[in-house]
Amino acid sequence: MFRLERARKFKAVTQAAKSLILLAILSTGTPAFAGVWDSGDLVKGQALFNANCASCHKVTDEILAAPGLAGISDRWASSEEMMVLWIQDPQAAAETGDPYISSLIDRYVGTYGWMTGQAVSTEDVADIMAYVQNPPLDPSAAGSASGSDCPTIDYSAGQNASQGTLWFLILLTLFLIVALSAASVKRVLKNAVAGSDDETVELDGTYVQRIQLWAWDNRVFVGILSVFIGAYLVVIGYQGLMGIGVYEGYSPSQPIKFIHSVHVCENEIDCQYCHHSADESKHAGIPSTNVCMNCHKAVKTGARYGETEIAKIYDAIGFDAISGTYFDGEGNNGYASPQDSFGGEPVAWNKVHNLPDHVFFSHQQHVEVGGLHCQNCHGDVGKFSVGRIAPVQEINALVDDFPGLIQLSKPTLTMGWCIECHNKAEISFASSGYYEDMHDRLRDDLRGNEELRAFMEDGKATVKELGGWECAKCHY
Amino acid sequence: MSANKTYWSGVEELDRTSEFERISSQEFPAERPIDAFLSDERLEKVNTGRRDFLKFMGFSLTAATLAACETPVVKSIPYVNKPEDITPGVANYYASTMYNGSDYASVLVKTREGRPISIKPHAASPLGQVNARVNADVLGLYDSERLQGPVLASKASTWADVDGAAAKAAAVDGRKVVLTNTILSPSLQRAIDGYCAAHSADHVQYDAVGYGAIRQVAREDFGRNEFPSLDFSSAQTVVSLGADFMGTWGEALRYNEAWASRRRPETGAMGKLYAFEANLSLTGSNADHRTMVAPADQGRVAAALLGELTGHAMVSDMNAGLKSAVALAARDLKAAGSKGLVVAGSNDLNIQRLVGAINRALGAFGTTIKWEGNRMFAGDHSALASLTADMNAGKVALLVMHGCNPAYNAPDAEGFIAGLDQVGFSASTALYADETSSRCTASIPTHHWLESWGDLQRASGSVELMQPTISPLFNSREAGESFLAWTGAPQNWNNYVRGTMDAKVWNEGLYAGSMSNNDAVEPAADVSAVSILAPAMAVNETKGGKFQATFYQKVTIGDGQSIGNPMLQETPDPISKVTWDNYVTMSRGDMEDLGLNLHLAEKDPASLVRVTVGNRSVELPAFMQPGQAPGTVGIAIGYGRGASGEAIGRAAYQVGGDGEHLADENGNLMPIGENAFALVGDQSGLPQYVALDVSIESTGETYALACTQMHHTFMGRDSIVKETTLGAFVPEMSAARGEASWNKAMGLGVHADINGDGEINALDKKTLDNFDMWHEHAVDEVGHRWGMAIDLTSCTGCSACVTACHIENNVAVVGKDEVLRHRDMHWMRIDRFYASDWNKERGAEEGLGVVGTYAKMEEPSANPETVHMPMMCQHCSHAPCETVCPVAATTHSNEGMNQMAYNRCIGTRYCANNCPFKVRRFNWFNYNGNSKFQNSNPAQDAMMRLVLNPDVVVRTRGVMEKCSLCVQRTQEGKLAAKKAGQPVVDGAIQTACAEACPTHAITFGDLNDRQSEVRATYDNNRAYHALEEVGIQPNIAYLTKVRNNDKA
Repeated sequence: MFRLERARKFKAVTQAAKSLILLAILSTGTPAFAGVWDSGDLVKGQALFNANCASCHKVTDEILAAPGLAGISDRWASSEEMMVLWIQDPQAAAETGDPYISSLIDRYVGTYGWMTGQAVSTEDVADIMAYVQNPPLDPSAAGSASGSDCPTIDYSAGQNASQGTLWFLILLTLFLIVALSAASVKRVLKNAVAGSDDETVELDGTYVQRIQLWAWDNRVFVGILSVFIGAYLVVIGYQGLMGIGVYEGYSPSQPIKFIHSVHVCENEIDCQYCHHSADESKHAGIPSTNVCMNCHKAVKTGARYGETEIAKIYDAIGFDAISGTYFDGEGNNGYASPQDSFGGEPVAWNKVHNLPDHVFFSHQQHVEVGGLHCQNCHGDVGKFSVGRIAPVQEINALVDDFPGLIQLSKPTLTMGWCIECHNKAEISFASSGYYEDMHDRLRDDLRGNEELRAFMEDGKATVKELGGWECAKCHY
Repeated sequence: MSANKTYWSGVEELDRTSEFERISSQEFPAERPIDAFLSDERLEKVNTGRRDFLKFMGFSLTAATLAACETPVVKSIPYVNKPEDITPGVANYYASTMYNGSDYASVLVKTREGRPISIKPHAASPLGQVNARVNADVLGLYDSERLQGPVLASKASTWADVDGAAAKAAAVDGRKVVLTNTILSPSLQRAIDGYCAAHSADHVQYDAVGYGAIRQVAREDFGRNEFPSLDFSSAQTVVSLGADFMGTWGEALRYNEAWASRRRPETGAMGKLYAFEANLSLTGSNADHRTMVAPADQGRVAAALLGELTGHAMVSDMNAGLKSAVALAARDLKAAGSKGLVVAGSNDLNIQRLVGAINRALGAFGTTIKWEGNRMFAGDHSALASLTADMNAGKVALLVMHGCNPAYNAPDAEGFIAGLDQVGFSASTALYADETSSRCTASIPTHHWLESWGDLQRASGSVELMQPTISPLFNSREAGESFLAWTGAPQNWNNYVRGTMDAKVWNEGLYAGSMSNNDAVEPAADVSAVSILAPAMAVNETKGGKFQATFYQKVTIGDGQSIGNPMLQETPDPISKVTWDNYVTMSRGDMEDLGLNLHLAEKDPASLVRVTVGNRSVELPAFMQPGQAPGTVGIAIGYGRGASGEAIGRAAYQVGGDGEHLADENGNLMPIGENAFALVGDQSGLPQYVALDVSIESTGETYALACTQMHHTFMGRDSIVKETTLGAFVPEMSAARGEASWNKAMGLGVHADINGDGEINALDKKTLDNFDMWHEHAVDEVGHRWGMAIDLTSCTGCSACVTACHIENNVAVVGKDEVLRHRDMHWMRIDRFYASDWNKERGAEEGLGVVGTYAKMEEPSANPETVHMPMMCQHCSHAPCETVCPVAATTHSNEGMNQMAYNRCIGTRYCANNCPFKVRRFNWFNYNGNSKFQNSNPAQDAMMRLVLNPDVVVRTRGVMEKCSLCVQRTQEGKLAAKKAGQPVVDGAIQTACAEACPTHAITFGDLNDRQSEVRATYDNNRAYHALEEVGIQPNIAYLTKVRNNDKA
């Protein structure tokens, strides 16, 4: 479900926009709402629902952060216009004094808070209703991984595969030291006893000399063994060196036991709902606490850890879970909007995907222009607990679920991995006016440069061919 | 024809000193101080044995290896409440306005994650021009030496206490004064007026550098008490009498762009500029005809000009050379008529009266001189003088100051300081605890303009707005808010500025940076009743002593208020190319007479001289300045700040080789240079920035000056700069590129009969494109090809591009000691070449022979023509640096850029050796961490490092760096185009230098976009490549400089 449709951002519409919408609705007279229940596009509706509604509403009658939507057409059948207004601007709808809306406010607003007005058009609502009325019977068929497919994982982080080896090495060293010391003590005692008994001291040399002697006696065996040990060390050394800078599987612990699978898989929240700047900035963005509050104002009990972890969000933003209001700087509660809250300490997350300072990477370029799936670099986050650098094999295995996913061989987040993809990824010249212009400039090459013709011989251009392997595309 | 002039990069090249010869043969000329190191006595006490050494080495290696294996834990801290208009990683721009008493600029402030990181001109505004001082001021915001909270009686205090003390003080009897610079903010004026009314105080304004005489003449002649608005874009002939109108005089920001619009030779007509001056100023270096005139003779030049125009002889004695120069200027002024303009930098009433008479005789008022209700420079120094007298008489009970620093820059600063002790309560709202503020009863921190709301009105017709781009960094308060609080009507400053304004109008104004108002300007009538006889007689009687001095403002430092700005300190003066210092400019002959050191180098310090005016004197190093009128010296004001060790920025003080501040025997910090405001004279309330009788003596001591140009030699190659005159240009204006005599395509001789004359000789040449040892790069016509064209005719050398580039690209400031070693990191420099009066033709005419001619071509020229040539990486298509890099750290992109991968570079520096332009810079140190740079590098100030551009990596020690053609901007611009689904729009991507250039001399764009402006400029027949014959095919083109100096 977290396909990268142009996700509509869950942002509060501005007051100005609200009044415009209200004005438009009120002045329309008899709007053509007849089609809200039957004219919608199911596919569009699903995307819109996932982007705008799914974080709070379910299509069943189950309550998530707000009431479930099953049977919505029965409840609103007679007042479609009012429903559209209610979706677009709940406060304005409430002011109309509609009895059904008043009843909704009485029942739910106290518990779940006001719904944020959604920037959707009447046509959008029709699409959404088409989806809500005909939800997929088998969730997995619609690409959703909710329900039984979701792993029931607990918070887990900081798994370090190399730690076992480290302990083994430390123990081995300790053992050797103890063994050698004991042998040394034994020898000293033996010699001392021999000396005190006035016997001829057995001059058996040091341990080194004895080992040399033994090695010479068994030189064929020792030789073969040395070759194997040497080869082993070379392999270990090579792998060790190649592993420098490879952080596959890196998943540091986090200050809040946040579990991606609960949000992404079970509750089907779009990646860009939280990491919302992926299509407009170089950073995908760590969600600010006020984004968490969009849902957690209502969802006060977590699926795994009850109230303890969610309370950390409340501490950060200054939210009083009992009254459902925000504190101001002086410790007074009663403020409805997080913009009025004093905002305590921000949550200091541990960064998972670290790029060195000399690397310039833009999410915007890859998500918005390149149209990549988030999963192509981050793996199936819905199966994760905390953020984690997905190993490349794991990502490659997702190719069936995500058509067009580019399979790579180098470790995730290494430069080899980046440029491997730049070599494979094709650019569609028709995708934008910019690339069309670039294409024209290739085609119109008056000098008939052979090197350039070669770019186009296979009828496709990769990122590399347009300069994606050049240093200053990423390093400046 | 004049394209064969010899250019020399400094007098050292001209004279071929041994130091110069030695340096020119080396890329990095600093000697390694090995002997000094080995003979260090402290070494004797060190007893590190070989084994210890090996142990340390082993430990370091292990530690480094282990440290490299650790996964660093990096914190990622999101907003708690993300502001809706901030997206991490995306820049926001805010329109704002800067005014500091002399510069007034409409700007766009670029912010990232809520912090301003650069300032660029607001192109849509007629006031949208910046200079080096404006765009470097973003560093001033973050200076951690700013006043961090209110101080009362030298103790940290609270606003309540300060307000209480101010209220109490206002209740006392006695004269009460508000002293400020020229207030341009209508709201602040309203607040001050309110304060004055409430406490029956009076408001005195003065400017650090006064323009009283020109305003008084406006009053006498037109009944207008305002600084006239000069329209250089309408001027055909301009005569400047010592007015550096391109650098620092008047509203230089406006004049630069306007005058450049008259300097487009393609129109077939160019404005013409005559300069009569003593110092070689930026304006003089760009003049078509420059004449050296001592300050005492400037009045005579004005009188003589007036005489020529009116037909009356007005000057008794004048030497023949000067006379003919004046006659030439008068001829062109006459021809220009009302399109003529004469400006004088002098604050002498007689000179300004004569200049007013000249301009009236020309009919310039209404065309080149306009009355716009200009409110700039409204200060009155005589009011300051009477205030100082009252203070010393103990009559002043209350003195509140804002935006001024009289304890430093008043003509009688000593008297002011003495008087300040007699004032009952004094307060100064300022950014720093500066010379004045630190001596006041209360030091009131005010907001930096980047933290402020505000309105500013330069002239009638529009009000420019100022908006905060960051929350106040310190516990400061808007000055206006302080006045409101002390009036007893405290109010939020934003609300006060907005007044009762309509929200829509206000928001639109903020977006645009300005809003129009309905102030009409009354037409001015010529009401002049002042006879020019008295002034003419006065200037004829003016006599100068053996030496005369001019006190000027440097283009980088201005009046000295930003002395603590390391970026400005390290930006070379456009003329002298000296950084970090103040000095006395002298002519060659005078220096030889005094036996002073003419040649500066790392090991050749300058001689110190004592300059005495009356009973005051300063000791400064002497600098040989070609073009300096004999018998005159020039000293920059703005230096010598912080004489009592005030906290005015760490870069304001001298720093030793170890990076620590230098201190005198009493432990006081040593200011840079000396305060020349102390030498400024007075003519009945008008400060005089000249001294007509000064004495100069050598102290016998020396002082090192850090000059940036010595190590860039061109060895007389004339393919660096091409120039011609308008007379030679016009006939061949439409010649094909490479055909015109002033920009002939270069050819190289081959051993074949090319021209078909049956002989193989030197005339058999093939054009450059026939020679190539490199494979073709597929950049032309394919994809993007970023390129630049720089018009040497428009470039004035103002250095706005230098600071803009360095701020955009996080270029390190390295301090004086490293500049002395020729290790400055400047990505963008402006080479300044002086021309000799000799060329091959003249040598041939006079039968000197080849050797004799070359010897003559190296002869010093007393009054040289000057060329300013911006020089940065030329992004050669066949780059010599690329082929020698052993690790392929510098490579070529398919977009025509020469790219530098810092993390790949291992620091062999072969590339720098192989670069014919010497534009590559090596990071000898970790400038942002090494303690040597603690007092000079902005990145070492915990606050000032916030100015670093997050899109450009900060380079570390051991790597090469150079101009990237702002690749971060081309990448960003391409991405924006891709998202919009459109080809890149011409002009949408600009480099920092092109954006900042006030004269639009730099054009940047995609050469493969055949419709682009840069393509047209690049194909212009004036375009050439520097060092074209090397065959490196740069992507940067220069446009032949055209001077309008035909005498006929």
